Amino acid sequence: MKETLLLTKHMRENPEDSHSLKSYEKNGGYKSVKKVLKSGTPEDVLQEIKDSNIRGRGGAGFPTGVKWGFLAEDEERYLVINGDESEPGTFKDRILLERDPHQLIEGMIITCFAANISKAFIYIRGEYAKPARRVQSAVEQAYEKGYLGENIFGSSMNLDIVVHLGAGAYICGEETALLNSLEGRRGEPRLKPPFFPAVKGLYNKPTLVNNVETISSVPWIMSNSGKDYSSLGVEGSTGTRIFSLSGHINNPGNYEIEMGSSFGEFVDTLGKGVKNKAIKAYIPGGASAPWLRGDQLDVKMTIDDVANEGSMLGSGAVVMMDEDTNLVLAAKSLVSFFAHESCGQCTPCREGTTWLENILERIASGRGRMSDIDLLLDVCDNISPGLTWPPKMTTICPLGPSATASIVSLMKDFRSEVEILLPKKVVIS
Amino acid sequence: MSEKITFTVDGKQLEGKQGQLLIEACEDSGIHIPRFCWHKRLDPVGMCRMCLVEIDTPRGKALVPSCTTQVTEDLSVETESDIVKKAQEGVLEFLLINHPLDCPICDKAGECPLQDQTMAYGPGESRFIEEKRHFEKPIPVSDIVLLDRERCILCARCTRFSDEISGDPLIEFIQRGNKTQVNTFPDEPFKSYFSGNTVQICPVGALTATSYRFKARPWDLKKVSSTCNCCSVGCSVELNVSQNKMLRILGEDNEFTNQGWLSDKGRYNFEYLHSENRLLNIFSKNDESHEIISISDANEKIKNKVQELDNPDIKFIVGANSTNEEYFVINKFANLLNRNQFLSKDKSNVYFADDHIFNGYFGDEYENATFEDLDSSEAIVVWAEDIKDNLPVLYLRIKKAVKNGVKLIVFGHTNTALESLSDLYLGSEVVSNNFELKTSLSNIKELKSIIENKKVTTIIGKSTPLQKKNSLDQLIEHLQKVSDLKVLNCFSKANTFGALQQIDQLKGLNEFCEEYENSKKNIIFTIGANPINSSFFGSQIKDLLLDADYVISLDIFKNETTELADLILPTTAYGEKEGTITNMEMRIMKQNKILPDPGSTLSEWEYLIMIAKSLGNDINYDNVIDLNKALAEEYKISEDLPSFDNLNKPSNLFGILNYKEINLNIKDVEASNISLLMIKRLYGDSSTQINSPSISMLGSERFIELNSTTLEKYGIESNVANLIQGSASIFVNIKLNNLLPDNLISVPINRRGFEKLDPTKDFDIKEAKNMRELSVN
Repeated sequence: MKETLLLTKHMRENPEDSHSLKSYEKNGGYKSVKKVLKSGTPEDVLQEIKDSNIRGRGGAGFPTGVKWGFLAEDEERYLVINGDESEPGTFKDRILLERDPHQLIEGMIITCFAANISKAFIYIRGEYAKPARRVQSAVEQAYEKGYLGENIFGSSMNLDIVVHLGAGAYICGEETALLNSLEGRRGEPRLKPPFFPAVKGLYNKPTLVNNVETISSVPWIMSNSGKDYSSLGVEGSTGTRIFSLSGHINNPGNYEIEMGSSFGEFVDTLGKGVKNKAIKAYIPGGASAPWLRGDQLDVKMTIDDVANEGSMLGSGAVVMMDEDTNLVLAAKSLVSFFAHESCGQCTPCREGTTWLENILERIASGRGRMSDIDLLLDVCDNISPGLTWPPKMTTICPLGPSATASIVSLMKDFRSEVEILLPKKVVIS
Repeated sequence: MSEKITFTVDGKQLEGKQGQLLIEACEDSGIHIPRFCWHKRLDPVGMCRMCLVEIDTPRGKALVPSCTTQVTEDLSVETESDIVKKAQEGVLEFLLINHPLDCPICDKAGECPLQDQTMAYGPGESRFIEEKRHFEKPIPVSDIVLLDRERCILCARCTRFSDEISGDPLIEFIQRGNKTQVNTFPDEPFKSYFSGNTVQICPVGALTATSYRFKARPWDLKKVSSTCNCCSVGCSVELNVSQNKMLRILGEDNEFTNQGWLSDKGRYNFEYLHSENRLLNIFSKNDESHEIISISDANEKIKNKVQELDNPDIKFIVGANSTNEEYFVINKFANLLNRNQFLSKDKSNVYFADDHIFNGYFGDEYENATFEDLDSSEAIVVWAEDIKDNLPVLYLRIKKAVKNGVKLIVFGHTNTALESLSDLYLGSEVVSNNFELKTSLSNIKELKSIIENKKVTTIIGKSTPLQKKNSLDQLIEHLQKVSDLKVLNCFSKANTFGALQQIDQLKGLNEFCEEYENSKKNIIFTIGANPINSSFFGSQIKDLLLDADYVISLDIFKNETTELADLILPTTAYGEKEGTITNMEMRIMKQNKILPDPGSTLSEWEYLIMIAKSLGNDINYDNVIDLNKALAEEYKISEDLPSFDNLNKPSNLFGILNYKEINLNIKDVEASNISLLMIKRLYGDSSTQINSPSISMLGSERFIELNSTTLEKYGIESNVANLIQGSASIFVNIKLNNLLPDNLISVPINRRGFEKLDPTKDFDIKEAKNMRELSVN
């Protein structure tokens, strides 16, 4: 199995200065946007994106072309790039921001051209200091060159880009919380209805919120074609994706591959296998995703195949756990993350995630009770009724229900690992 | 919004309005959905998740919060399915795991939505064995409100109120997740005129008021609906009494007036009722001191004095806190004395103790407005005294209207708090320091575009006692010409309109000073009025009262005026008397009695009828109901009048709108070169406030406001100074307010010391170098 480099080709081939404008342009950068602005129409761009069948790379996997089509008419509309990549195990947007910021900017210009937008924002995770610096200076360079601002590339198009650094909250990766944060409010998800970003988004105006990887794919699609893109990968999961592979693996890292091969193949070839041990369980799509077992490695890496197994391909974070892993501690670690990152709005998430963390902590340290398994599952059920995936929710956003995913996986497939930590029933004869 | 639709709840077909929230539509049909964060006067946030219900969606059944879901035609809702019940039980369990079990010492216990809903929907037992969340408890967030973060269930009612409704977002959530808490900003207390509302709408005992803490149990409280008397908005309230002591006042939700809210003054200005400084006996002046006498002796003294003085001139100075029934009797009494030749017939002898009254805009020429007209207008034009300080709940109503898109135009220089809400603020370029129009209104382009051919409501009144009526006339004339105008006359004191409507002709204190004749024998009645302290004419009146042959004061406290009285008659106060009052919309509402008459107090009308009798005249009334019947006959619209008995029933909260004729005779005060702008602040030194310990300190700060140019002129660099005029020197804090014009300094006239200042005379401001130099004269 080999990588197919579309988005990461330039940075791989120019490891020293792929973030510079010089290097980007030398390797064909900004050609695509020049072509589009010179001879294309917004309708052409939208058609190419639709033809490419690209689905959002942030986690939900919504068809990008359809999303663009939903944007409500208004005098003022915005594009917001979601670069708040905070899901444990996910580090793909980081390299796109840090090592090829001009590719993103070019994608944004084309997107704004297609959607008739003249103001865009890049929201970057607070901890991504270096990527943010690189993006900021790339934006400044683009302004200097006249690629941003008024009448860009000599056309009638105007575009301003604002780079904004978050303050360290995972929840701001949820698009409406991100918009709140961008407006200077508390990072809390908004109510949908009525605050669907495509209708009432940033400053109550129609807003397109797209992931870094999604928009970074746009220049390639426009310099080739939507059809070329859709010929890669498999139906329903076209094109390439950058997977972040981590965990008990010999060769962790970001890999850009066509979707459609199996997890096992991916781990064995590009990941160079697990360190002499078998895999007990793995997370196929980030901390929110339910786990799959080690005997499920032949599942295909497509959005639909993973969904059929009751999990999700999510943000493309693949985390391998070998047979020595203490899964109770693994689950506790994940639940602690969600408890720490809960915004605190909804009662079930605010109170429930911390309670789950407390119970797991008790069990892991040998202070569990026999009733704790039922209690864990029932508390999970009160956050995510029915414990299905995709989850039903008693909350505004899926953060709370995501915290239950690992517990449900643990109880479903690895219950004995929990039971062994609980006190035995004492039978008095 | 008003289109009718049908939807189904638990198998029953219900009717609702298109766009209405599900929780509200269910409530209207008698189906109660439990909730904590939802409040009908606040924007929904869907945070507590208690109101989850199941609805049919294209993707199957889904749990949704009924406070954020709008009803639609044929919507099918389950509120009692197993899934809903489990979700509600789950939410309650989550809320309770960190809620302390201190109900036995919590003020809210017994009227606590968390308690009640736990009983109705809760899980019954706890599965939580961990340590609960801990915070220091309670912490004061202001002088009158305390916050217990352990009890808080983070419903955001208080934070939303202060953000959306009162517009002073001084309490907010800090931290996140499980550590989220409500708190104030560092070094910035929750200093709001409306903070008490957050205590009332808190669904747990997290926010408590200093005045009520540990005072009573809800089940021990005797309750009655009434109408607030702190200003002329006439907010509907519920008075709570235990063991004959007023312990708490709550706002009642009256759509027409206060919509549930109260100012902190209206809410906490009641402790004075039980102050040991209350007047409880009849006092007669004996040489220099006052001695207690009996009611029959008092009657005798008045009778003898009237005979002895032989045809004296009798004048009345009345305050704003009497009921309509009392003003009715005052008027009858005054007329009676007229008829008996004590006075010449063509002269009115009743003067009203509020310097802000002016002749107003009444009668067929003008259409008078209600508060509801503010909501439905396209623009509101304000030229009046400071609304936020004098009619605080009207300020909330204006704010709400502006939020809903009504345009606001404010004329300077008094309503600087309204400026931030306004679409157009017309300050010193249009209004002179003497409150005269500098330019023709038709020349102001921005004004034209907002009001021309629009539905406009104007709130109009004197900005300061010294303002001449001329510029208001010009404004009204202009508005009538170019827009569809309704007028709200801005008289801010409690039952001003009751006095205006019940008394045949009312004059002001300026007229009192002019018409008083030293050469005659004079008897002066002051009834619930302290003109010496509260008026621009205070020192003149003091001289006149000293000159008068006999002064009779009816009041609830000893004050600067009763000090000069020959006879002091103690009267009943708020909550101790029954009657009606008329608010600034001319809406008649009921004030109820829930406390016994303390000491030897009587109502004002009882005294007057008694005195009339002893002078050989009968005003034939012996109870309030008869009095009310008598005055009800004079209302213009009499057919649909609720009776006196049921005026405060929930169905009659509309009150009685009556446009009975008003006959005011107020002349302009001749003054120019106004250099001190006297603004009455919400909190001050009224005897009711200084005798209510919880709020007595709120009116203690002495400050002046001025703009930076004026500040530079006096060369002041620190934020404290001495304001000096003649022999008066007041140590003041300096606040910068750049909306004020050059050389106009705003002073809080109802704070100690400021009543001595003459706004037309020169003054000086000197930097205060050290505390020893400070003096208050």
